Amino acid sequence: MKGVGGLAAVSMSGVSIAEAQEVLGQEIPADPHTRDTYRAIVDAIVPRTPELEEELGGEHVPGGLDVELEKFLIWDFNHFQEIRLETLQTPVKTARSGGGPLGDLGGDNPLGDALGGLTETGDLGGGTPLDSVTELVDGLMAPELFQLDLDTISSGSELGALTDLVGLDAVDELTGLLEVEDLDEFGELLDFGAVDRLAIDFADAPIPDDAEGIAEFDLLVEGANEGTHQVIQNYPYANVFPLVFDIVAAEFLLRGENEDTPSPNPEFAGGGTFVRLSREDRLRCLWTIVDGGAIDRLDEILSPMLPTLGILKYVVMAVNGLHGFGYYTEWSGLGDTKTNTPSEREMQVDPSNVQSRNQTDYPGPSDGYAADWRHAVDGGFDDDWETAETPGPADPELPDEAADEAEEATGGDLL
Amino acid sequence: MKDPDVVVVGAGADGPVAAWKLARDHGVDVLLLEAGPFYGNEQWPEPHVDSGGTVSTDPDDLDGKLLDEQFTHREAEANDPTYGYLRVGPSNSARAPWFRNLHQNAFIWQVSAVGGTSTHYFSNHPRGYPTAFDDQPHWPDEVSYADMVPYYRLNEEITSTQQAPMTAREEVFIEGASQEKSGEYPLLEDLNVTETGWRPQPNAVEVPGKETSNGQPLDSDYEGSFSYDDGFRGDTLVGDHFQGSSTPVDAPVREKARKSSNIGYVPRALDTNDNPNQGNVAIRPNTYVTDIHTAEGAGNLEATGVEIRDTWSGATQTVEADTVVLAGGCIETPRLWLNSGLPDDGWVGKGLTTHWFDWVVGVYDDDTVADINPDRQHMDPYVGQNSAVRFDKPGVGGLEDIGMSPGLVSFADYLFSEAGYSFDTPTDPDEPWDTRGYIVGKELKRRMANYRQTKAILVLTDDMPRQENGVSLDDTFSDEHGPVPKVRYEPGEEDDERRDELARIAANIHKNAGASHVHRAEWPPLLLHMQSSMRIGKVLDFAGEAKNVNRLFVADHSALANGVGGPNPTNSGQANALRIADHIGKRYF
Repeated sequence: MKGVGGLAAVSMSGVSIAEAQEVLGQEIPADPHTRDTYRAIVDAIVPRTPELEEELGGEHVPGGLDVELEKFLIWDFNHFQEIRLETLQTPVKTARSGGGPLGDLGGDNPLGDALGGLTETGDLGGGTPLDSVTELVDGLMAPELFQLDLDTISSGSELGALTDLVGLDAVDELTGLLEVEDLDEFGELLDFGAVDRLAIDFADAPIPDDAEGIAEFDLLVEGANEGTHQVIQNYPYANVFPLVFDIVAAEFLLRGENEDTPSPNPEFAGGGTFVRLSREDRLRCLWTIVDGGAIDRLDEILSPMLPTLGILKYVVMAVNGLHGFGYYTEWSGLGDTKTNTPSEREMQVDPSNVQSRNQTDYPGPSDGYAADWRHAVDGGFDDDWETAETPGPADPELPDEAADEAEEATGGDLL
Repeated sequence: MKDPDVVVVGAGADGPVAAWKLARDHGVDVLLLEAGPFYGNEQWPEPHVDSGGTVSTDPDDLDGKLLDEQFTHREAEANDPTYGYLRVGPSNSARAPWFRNLHQNAFIWQVSAVGGTSTHYFSNHPRGYPTAFDDQPHWPDEVSYADMVPYYRLNEEITSTQQAPMTAREEVFIEGASQEKSGEYPLLEDLNVTETGWRPQPNAVEVPGKETSNGQPLDSDYEGSFSYDDGFRGDTLVGDHFQGSSTPVDAPVREKARKSSNIGYVPRALDTNDNPNQGNVAIRPNTYVTDIHTAEGAGNLEATGVEIRDTWSGATQTVEADTVVLAGGCIETPRLWLNSGLPDDGWVGKGLTTHWFDWVVGVYDDDTVADINPDRQHMDPYVGQNSAVRFDKPGVGGLEDIGMSPGLVSFADYLFSEAGYSFDTPTDPDEPWDTRGYIVGKELKRRMANYRQTKAILVLTDDMPRQENGVSLDDTFSDEHGPVPKVRYEPGEEDDERRDELARIAANIHKNAGASHVHRAEWPPLLLHMQSSMRIGKVLDFAGEAKNVNRLFVADHSALANGVGGPNPTNSGQANALRIADHIGKRYF
């Protein structure tokens, strides 16, 4: 046996509070389209229920919107994946460095050379769809995975924006990619609500080849009446998913899978096609992502919108499940700190008294309970399985020979 | 520790077990590395905002009151997969969790911390079924159930494993299961299960109210304190083990009632530093292992150490060791192996079993509960141990009665399904459940209003290891530790049949007990029990050593050759870690 001298051990570390803490500290106000799409989901899963007042009592009336549960979903999705500069293939061209989707790409994709042709858009002249799938090379990610510009104004329409994103020359080429019979009708159904343009790009520019650390993103959302431009840490998935849901909703309607007639929904005025569905149809629509083949049929046009389309089934799981982690926990009692960085959240309402706890009658955590209990097996379990040996008492002092006994118990020569 | 004999990668449920055994009985110096935080340790008083110390080697570093502060037992604060203190991610809570690519309606539920996923487990410590070792074809001849039993016994002694207490909720299960009540099954009184029946859980939790503050027994009349400082010892009957469990409050770390590995093993491992006749254990959190170093040996490769990365500073360093033991769990162990470019003959990361869970919910009327428990009006799923009674059917799997706090209940009962929404999901009138799938809207609120009279039964299927299930390197995403793990799990047809059979048994237990409504959630894959992604008999020899790399062992649940029949895997994983540690000591020290 060796002695262990200075147990100061392998020494390094020594970093104090990360600067990143400050970046994450602020609440990210969501654009109207994002906010109202999640509000429409919350409204479908944990609605306000005035009709339960008589049956269960007035405390059962308020729902998820009364505690701004949409903020829980948006915060979680926007803190879902950290992107690090050292994991990117370099150099990263961004808007600020004269490249990237927010810059003028012109006829050439400046990423093409840098990435060894990996991001070549392919020959679209014959109508070949853009293969937006990019793969790790030497363990490094293609930056374009995380760059997006969906612009309905310069492209003329939602369909035009999708056409441009996919890299097609004309809207009608979408017909070949979308398994829809009537592209015009699809175009009429598709609406991104208050969003005219959503653009995501790396904020740190120019990014040196040897850059390390957490990437920050420029998030630009433009609408008719307002626009937001933020720099945020982590990929802003929460802002992208609602556009995906609008596309899936348009296809859902086109296929006639809705049970109720869609209608404008002033309560969620910033939303698009998705929020026009009835409560149950919103959920049916999301379920087509998991079990209805929607992402297979829409693969070609959805792929350029997300770093990977495959996570969408997981996202639908989370859209549902996070209501449990948010609504039926103490989260709403965090008051105005509920979207702070986690170490800066503080309870404003006692956990036993938040809205949902008044609906479940759960008293909140306790140090212990005075409760009756018994043992079901008098005298304890039997344990008479035959072994070669038993290893003997373990506590407090295991006899030296116990280890050898245990070896013998395994019934063979260990060498 | 400048010159460890052994580096153990991962201080989860199993790593501290192997480290303790190696130091305690084989005189080996062990550096135990953990990617996540070290809660309840004075060297890291603010683990989420400050990097704190580097390594802990002194049992006096452990601080039970600090653990009480850090484990608030608030549900979202503990369990949210993105920001909860029990998540898979760096200690720095301003950063996102570590990403896994999962292309399914499914959920991975692990914890990175000293104690690992055992920090939120229910401490159910049944042994594996003998038939899973002796009759199924997965375990090599050198590892029979009889070979495991001495290690089960040792682990049960270390972890205070004993029969769990029956409270009002368990009495309702017993009413529906026991042939002496309204059920069909006998009571099993043996720890080694070869027959079908029900029994109290063997739980790694001390007896309720072993000592109390006023000398009165812990029952419904108890009015004393639950503080260790006031004299309380043992379990306090709080069902919030999923949120970390640091009761009794004020108790030293080693005196907390539930023996997750940070309670049961870590203090003992650090104790070895105080004994000159034993090896030493140093525990270093916030340290990610990114590469396994090897050298060409005579024939096989030979492990020589690891490359580590500090999760706060990003600094990297090489640590040399005579032997490397992987204990990062069923996802990170194969990921590290693959990212290290080690040989793969087709089973690295493959063969993952998950017990193909399901979840069957019973809602009870007040009168029904009062008839079974005349002195108590509610079942109160938050009172008692989270799971204290079970059903076993070797060859098929098992069931566990479960009560939890309402956030977890709403997720598990009504918001996690592969069947779609209940309003569109027909129910076969010949099946013993009334509804299935997601429950949302007004009906969700109605069901949750009945939370205190609702309990669930977890279905644990004896699912078979299959080569198509498991972990590979993702080809899209990379993080600071290399390509991220891509995880896949789909049950086989026979697994589905076993799960259906068990779900019917669970529903009938509810019905026999008088449930007014039975709901089958029909869960998608929940990757919480994970076993057998680096299987003994395939990737590893019977001693846990890599077949293709000398001096490289795996001692976590991934080394299990199968799902041990369906019982909760912690007792089996830890017993196997003890067994492997003995083999390591014998072979190399």
